[in-house]
Amino acid sequence: MATSPALDVPAEPPAKRRKVSPEPPGRNDTLAATAASPPAVADLAEQLDEQERKKYVKGKKIGSGQYADVFSAHLVTNPTKLVAIKKIKVGPEVKEFGISYDSLREIKFLQELDHPNIIKLHSVFSTKNQNLNLVLEHLPQGDLLKLIQDSQGITYTPADIKSWMLMLCRAVYFCHANSVLHRDIKPNNLLIAANGEIKLADFGLARAMADPFQPMTYNTITIWYRPPELFFQAQHYGGAVDVWSVGCVFAELIAREVMFRAWPENEINMVKIICEKVGTPTEDNWPGVSKLRGYVTPGDVVPLRPREEWLANFRAIGDIGVDLLIKMLTLDPRQRLTAEGVLRHEFWTANPRPSRLEDLPRKGGGVEAMGESLKQRGGELPRDGGGAANGRADRVARKIDFGNMKK
Amino acid sequence: MSPVSKRDPRLGGGGGGGPDGELHTVMRGLSLQAPMPTDTGPAEVCPVCKSSRYLNSSLRFLVNPECYHKMCESCVDRIFSHGPAQCPIPGCRRTLRKHRFREQTFEDIQVEREVDIRKKVQAVFNKREEEFEGLREYNDYLNDVEDITFNLVNNIDVEETGRRFEAYQKANEKEIEENAQLAQQEKVSFSAMQKAERQQARERRDAARREENDERREVEENKRDVLNRLASGADAETVAKEGQQVQLKKRMDRQAATERQRQLQAASDSRNGSSNFVVKGLKAKQKAEPEAPIDPFGGIRIASKYFTLQDHYVWEGIQDTQKDVKHIAGGYDVRDYTHRSLCAAFSGLGVFIADEMTERDRATQDSEAIGTVRADIGLKDSLMADPL
Ligand SMILES: Nc1ncnc2c1ncn2[C@@H]1O[C@H](COP(=O)(O)OP(=O)(O)OP(=O)(O)O)[C@@H](O)[C@H]1O
Ligand SMILES: [Mg+2]
Ligand SMILES: [Zn+2]
Ligand SMILES: [Zn+2]
Repeated sequence: MATSPALDVPAEPPAKRRKVSPEPPGRNDTLAATAASPPAVADLAEQLDEQERKKYVKGKKIGSGQYADVFSAHLVTNPTKLVAIKKIKVGPEVKEFGISYDSLREIKFLQELDHPNIIKLHSVFSTKNQNLNLVLEHLPQGDLLKLIQDSQGITYTPADIKSWMLMLCRAVYFCHANSVLHRDIKPNNLLIAANGEIKLADFGLARAMADPFQPMTYNTITIWYRPPELFFQAQHYGGAVDVWSVGCVFAELIAREVMFRAWPENEINMVKIICEKVGTPTEDNWPGVSKLRGYVTPGDVVPLRPREEWLANFRAIGDIGVDLLIKMLTLDPRQRLTAEGVLRHEFWTANPRPSRLEDLPRKGGGVEAMGESLKQRGGELPRDGGGAANGRADRVARKIDFGNMKK
Repeated sequence: MSPVSKRDPRLGGGGGGGPDGELHTVMRGLSLQAPMPTDTGPAEVCPVCKSSRYLNSSLRFLVNPECYHKMCESCVDRIFSHGPAQCPIPGCRRTLRKHRFREQTFEDIQVEREVDIRKKVQAVFNKREEEFEGLREYNDYLNDVEDITFNLVNNIDVEETGRRFEAYQKANEKEIEENAQLAQQEKVSFSAMQKAERQQARERRDAARREENDERREVEENKRDVLNRLASGADAETVAKEGQQVQLKKRMDRQAATERQRQLQAASDSRNGSSNFVVKGLKAKQKAEPEAPIDPFGGIRIASKYFTLQDHYVWEGIQDTQKDVKHIAGGYDVRDYTHRSLCAAFSGLGVFIADEMTERDRATQDSEAIGTVRADIGLKDSLMADPL
């Protein structure tokens, strides 16, 4: 499993999860070893599992992906403490190695990363038939994709976009600062917490940044969000790959459509659409690009798209926002902003101010109704109907505003 | 009736000397002593120069909240234009300043004074409903504030109340200022709402004034009633007795209210276990200052205090990487590697085993169930802060 059999296999369509080759083992093999450890240890592990499993009451299924089903659950001891249990489906590699690689990555990185905009992993347990269960923070408000797609029901403002993007960028900066590449940033992996916070989730494709000359797979990141260097089969890359994906999410939030939606979804078409929309990668705008193994560009060279064109397409976010977008979707990964550079961009502190969490639009129940119910304080009952304001005046001790009686 | 003949004995006209003469600093510039009653003379005559509104219809009367003695505008100009001077009303030796004279808003000088006190109290006790855990706690607070106000208005424990007032003000300086600013902002941004509120306030004020007039009329009617009955030949003794009873009842009512107030105060004192004002039921402060500038990093910066990253390191592997076009063109940044290596090298330095043990115990279930080891990450120096 040192060399990856999947490296030269064309990517599967984005709707389905790519089965990425196992990364060079490194720290992971201790995990695999534990899972297939001798019976004496297994007994103890089983006991601990049992203990952990019994802490939760599993509820209904709230989502399902290519490699996992997600259930809502709550603590036995406290039914108001909700969690999400992600039950990893048993795949072929489980039979071989005793555990799935995706879940290994997810567990490994989520344990390391503690940040308000990264989903929290509370604990892990397994069941008899080697099924892994991840106990995750409960995020009941769906994902960003649902908001983007509900163009009938949900409108949002540039300030909302800024707020969501800022939370995403903080999460990505935090990953990179801790030497973790996420490699699957896209709107449906950005979940929304009850308070409106964005949480970067699904670390199934994450990996630690590689050492020099240690190859990484280029067959990663959902194809529409994949940067050009990976289409050119670069095997040594860095945080810039995630920044490209973040740029795609940014553009998608503004335009409400996928920025690089190649159809059919294959590498050739993706390179074509990137050339059309950004410009053709050449030695001029990207020194060294022609030396990359997979470097091919279709037909005539398209010059880099002028700023005016970007401005025309993304007018809604304003000049400063467009400037940031251009710098995230820069072809040459070395010229692309780093996650830290992104946070240093003036966009965040310029007007408008990013929306506050409680002002962000949410899905379901109509924006209005949602907004109302969320303004209530925790554990507070709705105030009795219509005359909230009037009813209150009666119940509050008389308080006359003497400050206003005289100028 | 001479304007000074019926001065309220509590006024302690001794000025600087007497125990009442020195106002508590908090209330400096606001007389806590009840001023002399209003009915000290025809409202149209200046007690200082005796000018009368009959002769001069443009005559304006002013009061100074230091002592609430009324005098005409030209007297104020004459006496105080050259600097602070003593109140010309005999027996009152307070030092007054011209800029503090103003027109009386309320006919009744007591009401005038109460409004001043209320304004002062409200400027300090300016907590907002949303700071409290619930409506109940907020109401309790309003009740406490009302107690304080009542004490000040009715000269109950003035010294002590003033001291505690000041202690509270000092201890809460920052919050008071913040809330004042918040209120100011709201005033600006919701001027329409303010207008409506001002309208309401005016209505309430009118209502208060009406109430007061009613009360006064009642007293007068009562008096007239007594006189009428005496005039109509009723038994003087009975009438006098009845009159006394009415008066007595009123006094008792007032005394009872005062007493109740004292008891409440005592109760709340013992409840608080201290003689200072303690506001209870406040929500734990968690809301960020609404206008604090945005920190894009959200208070989290990953930087090590143990090393500074260099652009160049003399080590073959690194130099080769920097020369290798496939690394360069793919966006591989060797600084990520050097940074990570340095982090790993220094990661033991800021770690205190005891802290780590606590941390681990807290998160036991995370790692032990599957037997992983928490990897070293350069998080020791990061700082968390509220989002957005
Ligand atoms: N913590 C959570 N709280 C609430 N819902 C969740 C949570 N985690 C996941 N879900 C729901 O379950 C779905 C699948 O989760 P997830 O993306 O982690 O699985 P996956 O197998 O990696 O899916 P895919 O590969 O298709 O993206 C999500 O789209 C989301 O709707
Ligand atoms: Mg997913
Ligand atoms: Zn005069
Ligand atoms: Zn005076």
